[in-house]
Amino acid sequence: MAETATSTVAFAFEVAPAIAILPLASFVIALFAGKYLPKRGALAGITATGGSLLLSLWVMLTVAGGAYYNEEIYTLVSTPDSFDLHFGLLLDPLSALMLVIVSLVAFLVHLFSLGYMNDEGEPGLPRYYAGLGLFTFSMLSFVLSDNLFMSFVFFELVGLCSWLLIGHWYREDAPPSAAKKAFLVTRFGDYFFLVGVVAIFATFGTATFAGAESFPTLAEEALAGSGGAGGELPTFGLSAQGWFTVLGLLVLGGVLGKSAQFPLHTWLPDAMEGPTPVSALIHAATMVAAGVYLVARMYGFYALSPTALAIVAFVGGFTALFAASMAVVKRDVKQVLAYSTISQYGYMMLGLGAGGYVAAVFHLMTHAFFKALLFLGAGAVIIAMHHRQDMWEMGGLKNKLPVTYYTFLAGSLALAGIVPFAGFWSKDEVLYEALVHGLNDPLLLAAYLMGLTAVFFTGFYTFRMVLLTFHGEPRTHTARNPHSLGWSVKTPLVVLGILATVIGLANMTPIAEATGLEIEFLHTWLEHGLEGVNSEHYGEVLETVAGYSAAELSPLLAAVFSLSLALAGAGLAYRLYSGDRPEHHTDRLGAAKRLLTDNYYQDEYQVWIAQTLGTGVARASDRFDQGVVDGVVNGVSSVSLFSGDRVRRVQTGIVSNYATLLTLGLVALLVGVGLAGGWFL
Amino acid sequence: MVAVQYYLLLSAAIFCIGLFGILTRRNALFFLMSVELMLNAANINLVAFSFQYGNLTGQVFSLFITALAAAEVAVGIGIVLVLYRNFGDVDVTKATTLRW
Repeated sequence: MAETATSTVAFAFEVAPAIAILPLASFVIALFAGKYLPKRGALAGITATGGSLLLSLWVMLTVAGGAYYNEEIYTLVSTPDSFDLHFGLLLDPLSALMLVIVSLVAFLVHLFSLGYMNDEGEPGLPRYYAGLGLFTFSMLSFVLSDNLFMSFVFFELVGLCSWLLIGHWYREDAPPSAAKKAFLVTRFGDYFFLVGVVAIFATFGTATFAGAESFPTLAEEALAGSGGAGGELPTFGLSAQGWFTVLGLLVLGGVLGKSAQFPLHTWLPDAMEGPTPVSALIHAATMVAAGVYLVARMYGFYALSPTALAIVAFVGGFTALFAASMAVVKRDVKQVLAYSTISQYGYMMLGLGAGGYVAAVFHLMTHAFFKALLFLGAGAVIIAMHHRQDMWEMGGLKNKLPVTYYTFLAGSLALAGIVPFAGFWSKDEVLYEALVHGLNDPLLLAAYLMGLTAVFFTGFYTFRMVLLTFHGEPRTHTARNPHSLGWSVKTPLVVLGILATVIGLANMTPIAEATGLEIEFLHTWLEHGLEGVNSEHYGEVLETVAGYSAAELSPLLAAVFSLSLALAGAGLAYRLYSGDRPEHHTDRLGAAKRLLTDNYYQDEYQVWIAQTLGTGVARASDRFDQGVVDGVVNGVSSVSLFSGDRVRRVQTGIVSNYATLLTLGLVALLVGVGLAGGWFL
Repeated sequence: MVAVQYYLLLSAAIFCIGLFGILTRRNALFFLMSVELMLNAANINLVAFSFQYGNLTGQVFSLFITALAAAEVAVGIGIVLVLYRNFGDVDVTKATTLRW
């Protein structure tokens, strides 16, 4: 019996690469045969992601049984004395959880695309499904990575897919421009990530996440001063902890770009130019989660540096508030969701930085479901509104689209953090962690206060969006006669709607605290895992190395406080926007409205920096290239040409001259040999 | 018996005459003649040493050189003929078209 169990476990891990390979196959099929298939590649994508989902669930069950996997599967480059670059799999509770999230959302988005893309007669469907397949492959491989090098490779690939899919409607003006912006802004962050990867290789000689020879373990040993392999690491003139902070911040550059944190968040709202299912899959639920997932994956390393953690928390808290304030004035339903996405990822960063590893992963999970739901719901509304996205033109859709309304409402309640929907439990835990650790650290407390203020804004803009879209009287003809919706649109909404309602029950910390019941399932789940990569270990490291200490505080109190703020925001939205003529309420903000609509002039100053600094650097490089590099090359060639032109005059073509040279040469040789041989002495 | 030094002086003198001819003359036929002189200077050397040491190898070698010189003259005269056909002259300094 035991043998059978072992072989089943081994088999589950052996087929784990197929989780990523299946979407890759659907990418190839859609790309090369999509034109000839009945649904233009959609069915291949649905089958592949469905298969991935089943395999992911199997892996999750296996991991739940206490079996973990951390193996190299393919070595790209190996050098005997220093490091090797390899691909490998790391299957532990964190990656198994993320695999299920990604494959589930990818599956539902493929299904939704049948209604959003196929039924609407969009062109370029094989290209679209190929992009989705390649994205799913890259994202799943990123999640499976057992080392930072492989993570980086797939981090870049998901960026490429994002570019491909934002620019899907490449004949229009805005999408290609938005795609380029997304690519360039995230690439700016990834540049630091690349330097960080190289620096980690240079410091530790390895980039694996887990195991005795992994870089977080080596770093921890170095700090503990316990000798071992981590005893003598090159730290380039800094203290060990200082250097680890630098490494963490370099990798954080990529995280800020991908997870759209301030100041690299500007690409995400523009990325909404892509098809709405793409926004749901890539720019809300999964790809932007890659940054947060990366920090969670190497949390054992970040936990060693209180400075890096404080920066993570502060940036997160600031972004949460900053983005939420901009969402308050937007007219486009997808823009509101885009800013709320940035804001919610800010919460996750806040949670990670404040030492709430489980809380952040919890919020990552609930957010993936409710934000995918909201985007798909917005997609359904956009179908119904004949591809209009302006909320001023909507209104009163509640009765026409009941399924969309109730699921969207569930997602909104989750986003606003109203009990008992998913977002309440997770956001509340993030804030609780920030508060209990922040009472001993003013920087964390400031981050917490920003996050808390953002709760009010979140409640406000969420219900402003719901009220403007679904309540009141229809404000345009289109809103009075919406387009009907098919099953492929409704099914994903219902599945995600149920998840957004109940998934929070996985980790009801306040209830557990109040009643003493063992119902913090996610805490238990993440406490397991390989040695050194589980929440229990992270907690110890945070306490001993980073010096984090939690104040005694009831989670119920904090929960009531943030819930009342969210309700206040929602109530204000209800007071202002439930009437028939809601337009003028936004105008009452006056100058602030202008500032918020223009996104605090973030784009303008970034363009200004790019134009002045970027052009200056480019011009100087051009001068260096044209002058020094080309100058050397051209100089060498001119010298050769000139001297060749002179030397060739020796070749006169006259036989007598050659004979003379020959004779002179012989005489010179004779004299030389004679002198050396001493004939003349 | 004449000492070997005199043969060597004679050979060196003939060689230098041949070399002088090659360096100063422009007529291809003079070239051929000068080359003959130089070859025979070498022959004298070989024969002189052969006589000195009583070893016949040197004399046999000089016979080979004579045969080789005959072949060389045959090729050389052919070249001179072609030179004349192409340039209308047997002046070696005129034939400079194979340079850069």
